[in-house]
Amino acid sequence: MNQLETDVLVIGGGSTGAGVAWDSALRGLHVTLVDRGDLATGTTGRFHGLLHSGGRYVVKDPASARECAAENQHLRRVAADCIEDTGGMFVTTPLDDPGYADQFLAGCAMAGVLCEEVTVAAARRREPRLNPRISRAFLVADASIDAWKAIWACVRGAAARGATVLPYHAVVALEVEAAAVVGATLRDTRTGEERRVHARCTINAAGAWSGQVARLARCHVGVVPGKGVMIAMNHRLVNTVVNRCNLPGDGDILVPIRTVSVIGTTDVPAADPDDIDPTAAEIAAMMAAGEVLVPGFSQGRALRVWAGARPLFPKSAASAAGEVSDTRDVTRSHSVLDHAELDGVGNFLTITGGKFTTFRLMAKDAVDLATDKLGMSGAAIACRTDSELLPGSESGRFYWIGARQEEMEAQGPDDPLLCECELVSTQDVRAAVSRRPHCQLDDLRRSLRVGMGPCQGGFCAFRVAAMLHQDGHYEREAANESLRSFIEERWKGTRLLSWGDQLRQTRLDEWIFQGVLDLEHLPE
Amino acid sequence: MSHDVVVVGAGLAGLVAGIRLAQAGRDVAVFATGYGGLPLAPGVVDVLGYVEGPVTAPARELPGFLAAHPDHPLARIDSGALAAACRWFLGLVAPLGYQGTMERNLFLPTAVGALRPTALVPETMAAGDLTQGGSVLIVGIQGCRDFYPQLLAANLAAAPSPSGSRIEARAVQVALPGNVGSLRPQLLARRLEQPQVRAELAGLIRSELAHEERVGVPPVLGLENAREVWRDLQAAVGRPLFEIPTIPPSVPGIRLQALLTRSLRRVGGRLVTGASVVGGDGIGGRLASVRVASAAREVEVRADHFVLATGGVATGGIVVERGGGAREVVLGLPTTAVDLQPDPLSEYFSPRAGDRLGLAVDRLLRPVDRQGQPVYANLHAAGAIVGGAVPWREKSGNGISLATGYAAATAILGELN
Repeated sequence: MNQLETDVLVIGGGSTGAGVAWDSALRGLHVTLVDRGDLATGTTGRFHGLLHSGGRYVVKDPASARECAAENQHLRRVAADCIEDTGGMFVTTPLDDPGYADQFLAGCAMAGVLCEEVTVAAARRREPRLNPRISRAFLVADASIDAWKAIWACVRGAAARGATVLPYHAVVALEVEAAAVVGATLRDTRTGEERRVHARCTINAAGAWSGQVARLARCHVGVVPGKGVMIAMNHRLVNTVVNRCNLPGDGDILVPIRTVSVIGTTDVPAADPDDIDPTAAEIAAMMAAGEVLVPGFSQGRALRVWAGARPLFPKSAASAAGEVSDTRDVTRSHSVLDHAELDGVGNFLTITGGKFTTFRLMAKDAVDLATDKLGMSGAAIACRTDSELLPGSESGRFYWIGARQEEMEAQGPDDPLLCECELVSTQDVRAAVSRRPHCQLDDLRRSLRVGMGPCQGGFCAFRVAAMLHQDGHYEREAANESLRSFIEERWKGTRLLSWGDQLRQTRLDEWIFQGVLDLEHLPE
Repeated sequence: MSHDVVVVGAGLAGLVAGIRLAQAGRDVAVFATGYGGLPLAPGVVDVLGYVEGPVTAPARELPGFLAAHPDHPLARIDSGALAAACRWFLGLVAPLGYQGTMERNLFLPTAVGALRPTALVPETMAAGDLTQGGSVLIVGIQGCRDFYPQLLAANLAAAPSPSGSRIEARAVQVALPGNVGSLRPQLLARRLEQPQVRAELAGLIRSELAHEERVGVPPVLGLENAREVWRDLQAAVGRPLFEIPTIPPSVPGIRLQALLTRSLRRVGGRLVTGASVVGGDGIGGRLASVRVASAAREVEVRADHFVLATGGVATGGIVVERGGGAREVVLGLPTTAVDLQPDPLSEYFSPRAGDRLGLAVDRLLRPVDRQGQPVYANLHAAGAIVGGAVPWREKSGNGISLATGYAAATAILGELN
């Protein structure tokens, strides 16, 4: 069994873990980041892509609103390439409490959330599909952010500074010696191979799974997974993030991101963060909620449905005892737990709660405490993530919807597109594979968006699998398996949306995969 | 406007019905929203490819299969209609050299290298039948889209043929001079219509060829004069040579479509594309007219008989509503009753409740209501809109369209005579 030595072991490759890795690496620490699956496959890969202005929380959770407002500005500066500056809007629909708007305005002023009221006519000029019966509208600094891009930028930056990044490595044991965590045993979930890592400090950044990880060291983290359902619609029904101006509720946010728009979300406590499949009733509720923001919404084509598990960390004693009845009442702020104080286990911290928008701040708070514990101090060890630009964001230019078209035109006609929906070229796939030699089609999807567009892989899945076999990346069996499992994986997000144009697309894909290619009869 | 017969839809079923009726001297008009589904598929005619396992002899397998599936479209029509339709079709498409019988399926490689059973195939594909095994050289052309010879050959060589004998397959990629970037199949097909381009390709293939007895190539052997392109190339290579179909758009499908639309016009039928049929009016149990929406206005078109061949869910003939209902889009006809609620646990390659969704029809292929009575005495359905089959899984797609298109015409001619 080979052994790794590291300063900081980070468990969980979501936004928090990737942020911690980036932050630690910038401070000169050697960091090892592990996740049981691919990076950003937990909650981070399953949110709507909203970079909060803070407006959502100004009335209910002002502390969280204040954090969001500050972090929004930081991320715009350091992660521009991951962000589309869509702007955001809060609108009072006929179903919203008309009195809330004034509370909202006052809350924005208190929390430092930039907000400007505009006339309903101006709002509708900007977003013509908006419900014409809205009575007030406010502009805020919401944006959409590509979680996969942001995570991979953090991780690449960390790796360039010596970090070890181990996706598909599950922590099977935490080693506790003399009342302190000294390392972990990892298992490669693809090969079954085990290895040990010896760490001066271990940070549990497993989000909704952090309770499970803490238990490995006999520690307690009372995190409550909060299930949220989202649906991606096949078009950008709006080009500005649109929020209902009311207390947070179900289906009150519509986020334009990349080629789609995502409506979300719900919030119910879940017993197990791995058991959060959306239900037909939740889908119906989301479609109805969409109708309130954009009349005709439910006639549009729903492309994909999924659910994420928020890591909700109730700070009050009553709720920590597991008595959470309404997860919407749990603060969206984060907590750094020192298990030396809480459980008598040293060198072990948990960072939990929080939300994507504040991941940089969460990482900073966790690494600040870690360096403290390691007895490091001084300017050399100070956090730099508020000024250091993430790889890819050096130009300071925001992502825009035409970015890939622009790149493609620059590449010229010699580089055939493999995925027409998301404009992914052969070169893009080859470059991604050279960065990650062991990657599967579904990993490529997360880094390139291949197969995420309207056809959900109907055309590109075959092309990518066959091309990677041709390049020697896959053996025959692996190519077939990758293709089949990719199709099964895509199906999970569409099977509950089997109506209208989406079913028509499914049927066309069936004609391609089964009618033309006869994929179900490939040799073993 | 008035015709003897109005056909709605220009896929295989609609064109077959239209041609057959026009051949019989009827005044036929075919209206279609688009161009029909033929370019989406490789233009082979499947009859029955899989029941439990692969079907080697569809004619032998069909009676048992249809007895077990009494609502299957092929079970609704006269038992001789399918064979008659196949014979008629082979004659009609003779310029494309279609061959095959219902007695024995051919097992052709697909673009991923599965061996797929089918009944009638164009001459450009026939040498790909690997029922008895054999050794093949799979030739990719650099820049040609959607054709990956390595995976194709690797999968082909990984399993025995249906007869148990060995398949040997090797892949090569050749670079045709002047090919720049990524070539859509239609473009490459056009290029290969030039004799000197074919000669160059033949030279490249010859230089790669070893002991292989056959050569498989992308489905790009000409759009207009496939016979000449294929024969030329095969003669110059000196071995049997065949096209291997791939994902849409399909050049062999486009060839079949072109031939069928020409045939329709040659026998006096009219084909009007960009003309959606959006509704109809019935009088006394008969459909009197349909409303056709074209560029600027709706036109009422009257006819004695109608054939509805708008396709199933894949081509928009039937729309499934959120909440589970299904709607036949042109006339609002009742569909087969199945539970269409999505199954949260279904797996992709497993059967699903809505797979067989379509119209229920009587023995004359007339859509029937819940009581089993024809909705209109003079309205017949043909093709994928007829319920009861899972053609993409059974490999029965074009066979159903051909047989029901033919049978719908027979029913109309029977009544007219």
